[in-house]
Amino acid sequence: MGHGHPHTHDHSHDHDHDHGSTPDALDLSIPDSELSPADVSRRGFLRGAGLLGAAAGLTGAGTAGGVLGTPDIAVAHGGGQRTGDFSWKAGDHHIHTQYSSDGKYRVADHVQHGLAYGLDWLVITDHGGATHAKIGVDKVNPDIVAAREKFPEALVFQGLEWNIPAAEHGTIIVHPGKKEVEVLKEFETNYDGSVKGASSQSAANETLAIAGLNFLAAAKKNRRVSDAMFFANHPSRKGLDSPHEIRGWRDAQPEIALGFEGAPGHQAAAIPTSAFGPGAGRGFYDSSPGADSFPAYPLESYRTWGGFDWMTATVGGLWDSLLAEGKPWWITANSDSHSVLWDTSIRGANSDFNANGRYNDPQHGVKPDVTAGDFWPGFYSRTHVGAAGDDYRHVMDGLRAGRVWVDHGGLIKSLDVRARVQGDRNRRGGTPLGGVLKVRKGTAVEVTIDVELADKPNWAQLLPVLARVDLIQGAVTGAAADRDVFTAPKTRVVTSFEVAKGKKTASFTYSFGRVSSPFYFRVRGTDGNFSQPGLYGAAVDPTGPKLDVVGDADPWLDLWFYANPIWVLPY
Amino acid sequence: MSTVHLGLSLGHATDAEAEHWLAAHLPAVPGLVACTHNVPAPYPHVALSVAAPDGVALPETDPDLRAAADEAAARHRAHVSGRAVVYPGVESLTGTLTVADLLDRSAIERVTVLGGTDAAPDALIETRDFVRPLLRAGKLELVLVPIVGGRLAPFEVPNPTPCCADH
Repeated sequence: MGHGHPHTHDHSHDHDHDHGSTPDALDLSIPDSELSPADVSRRGFLRGAGLLGAAAGLTGAGTAGGVLGTPDIAVAHGGGQRTGDFSWKAGDHHIHTQYSSDGKYRVADHVQHGLAYGLDWLVITDHGGATHAKIGVDKVNPDIVAAREKFPEALVFQGLEWNIPAAEHGTIIVHPGKKEVEVLKEFETNYDGSVKGASSQSAANETLAIAGLNFLAAAKKNRRVSDAMFFANHPSRKGLDSPHEIRGWRDAQPEIALGFEGAPGHQAAAIPTSAFGPGAGRGFYDSSPGADSFPAYPLESYRTWGGFDWMTATVGGLWDSLLAEGKPWWITANSDSHSVLWDTSIRGANSDFNANGRYNDPQHGVKPDVTAGDFWPGFYSRTHVGAAGDDYRHVMDGLRAGRVWVDHGGLIKSLDVRARVQGDRNRRGGTPLGGVLKVRKGTAVEVTIDVELADKPNWAQLLPVLARVDLIQGAVTGAAADRDVFTAPKTRVVTSFEVAKGKKTASFTYSFGRVSSPFYFRVRGTDGNFSQPGLYGAAVDPTGPKLDVVGDADPWLDLWFYANPIWVLPY
Repeated sequence: MSTVHLGLSLGHATDAEAEHWLAAHLPAVPGLVACTHNVPAPYPHVALSVAAPDGVALPETDPDLRAAADEAAARHRAHVSGRAVVYPGVESLTGTLTVADLLDRSAIERVTVLGGTDAAPDALIETRDFVRPLLRAGKLELVLVPIVGGRLAPFEVPNPTPCCADH
C-alpha cells in the first residue's frame, strides 16, 4: 500500500519522482532543456540506440521510432518500478447481461457468481448497438450501482463491448463517477461500428476507431471520467484486427489502448457433445477468412491453441512482434459470459428487447443448457492485477502498468516474476511484470520466478498440477518498418523449468548474463497435458500449446498461465 | 479445347452470397472450376473466378468492380489463391471418406492438416458434405483439422444456415 497517487491525479502529466528510477528521459513530452543532466545523458544514450522516437514521434501515430520512447512509458512503468506488497486482484473485463441482445443474466447474477468464484473486480460489457445506445446504457447503470452497494466486496465497473469500427469487438472500461454513463453513451452513439454502420474494413472506418480512442482520452483529460481504457477482445476470431490497426490504436492513445485478450472467453464451447457440451470450436473460434479479414493471417490464426488466441499463443508471433518493438501491450483472460453451460435458467418470458433495451429477468427453465459455451466470471478464466490499493483506481493503474498475469482453471495460486540485477534478493527489489529494468551496459541481469502452486481444487473439483514453466525471450529491435508485420524472429523459448511434484512453491532463476542490448522476456506455464512444437518450429518453441480440437477440447484438462512481459534496457 | 479464366464480381458481401449466386447461375460444364476470392477494393467483398472451356459466358461485371473481377481471374490463373466451390468430383465428396478416396475422386491435389501433423492415406475425413479446397502455391489443397474421435474434417465449417434454405 502507501501508493502516493491522489485519486484525481491525471496520468498523462505524471512525472512521479518518488520512484528510484526516473522515467523522464523516456518521456518526450519533457523537453531536453527541462531534464536533469543525468536524464539528458540517458536520453542521449537511448536516442543513439534508436530506442527513442524522433521528436515528431510524440504526437503522430506511426512515427514513433521506438515505443520505449513514447510518453506512455512514464505511465506504464512509473508504477512498475515499485515492487513488493502489491495486492493481486482477480477480475474479468468481459461480461454480458440481460442488456445485451444475446444475453440473459442480471448484473447481480454475474457479480454474485464472480464473487463466489473468487473475483475482486468485474466489468459489465454489454454489446454496443442502436438499442443499447438508446436505452440499455442508461438502464443498466442503476443495476450496477445497486450491485456496488449490495456486494461491497466487489469492484463493479460499467463498461461497454465496443464494435470497433473496421475491426473486432473491444472492452471499454471507465472509472465509476457522475458522468460514467454520459461518457459511455456519447462514445457508443458516435463511435460504435454497429451504431454508425462502420463495421467493414475501410480507411474511413479505421479513422473512426482512432477518433473513438481520442474521445476517451479527451474525456479523461477533461475530467469527465477520471480514467478510461480499451482492450481488444477475441482479436483473431475472424481475422478482423489487422496488425496495423492494433499498432494504430496503441500508438494513437497509448494510455487508453492497452492490450488484447490473450485468451478469449467461451472456454466451454469445445466440450464434446458426448459430454453434453456444445461441441464447437474452443472460444467459439470456428471462422474462416472473410472479405473484411486481414488477408495475410494464416488459417492457424482462426483457431485457439491451448485455449489461447493465436496472437498470444504463438511464440515469435503477433504479440511478440509488438513487444519486440518495445510497445507496452498487455494480455488478459475473461469469461465473455453470456449463457453458462449447464445452467438451468432461461430468458425471462414476454421479453421485448427492442422496446425495453433488456430481457426480463431470467427464469428457472428446469433443463440444463447443453448448447451454451460459457463459464461464470471467475469460474475458469482470471486476470490477476497487481494493485497498490483496494479501489477502482488502483485496479486500473495495475492494468495500465501491465502488472498482470492470467490463468485458466486455477492452475497456480500466485506468481511473482522480477527482473533483477544479478544477486539481488531483496524482497522488495527488482522490476515486476509490465516494468522496465534499466541498467548500465555490462550489468549482469537475471529473472526470479516464484510460484505458489495450487493448494486447493478448482471449480471442476480438480487440484491443478503445474508441470512446466517456460521462459520466452526476445530482442527489442525498435519500430517495425512494416506496420503489418506479425512475426518476431528473435523471440524464442530460452529455457523450460520442470516443476517438482508435491511442493507448495516453485522458484526458478535464469541469468541473462551481462546485458548489452535491449530485450524483453515473458513467462508461461502449463499442466503439460497437451503440447506440440510452435508454429515457427521446435527451435523457437519445442513444447508450445496444442491446436484445440473442434468439438473435443475439455478446458479443464489443458491449463496454462501467461504473464505479461518485463523489458531490460541497458544504457 | 483451351481453358480460359474468367473473373466476375457482383459485390457479394460473403462467401455464402457468392455461392448462392453460383448455384443458380453457373452453367453445367464438365471440368469447370469456380472459386471465390476475398478482394479489398473498391470495398471488401467476394469476387468470383471461373476456369472453363473457351466459349462459356458469364454476365457483365459493373465497371466499378471490373478490377476486382480481373484480380480474381488472375489469382485463379496463377493458382496463387482462391477458394474452390465447384470443381471436378465435388459432388462425390459426401459423408465420411478416407484421404486416399478424397484425392482419388476429386480434383483436390493435396491435403494438409492445420498445426502441421500429417494425414495418413487411410485417415477418415468427415466431409460434412461441404468441401472447399484452396488454390495455394499452384495446387488445389484441402486444409483439414483434427476433430472429435480422432478423425479429420475440412477446416471450413459449413454455414450453419444453408445458403439456399429460404428457397
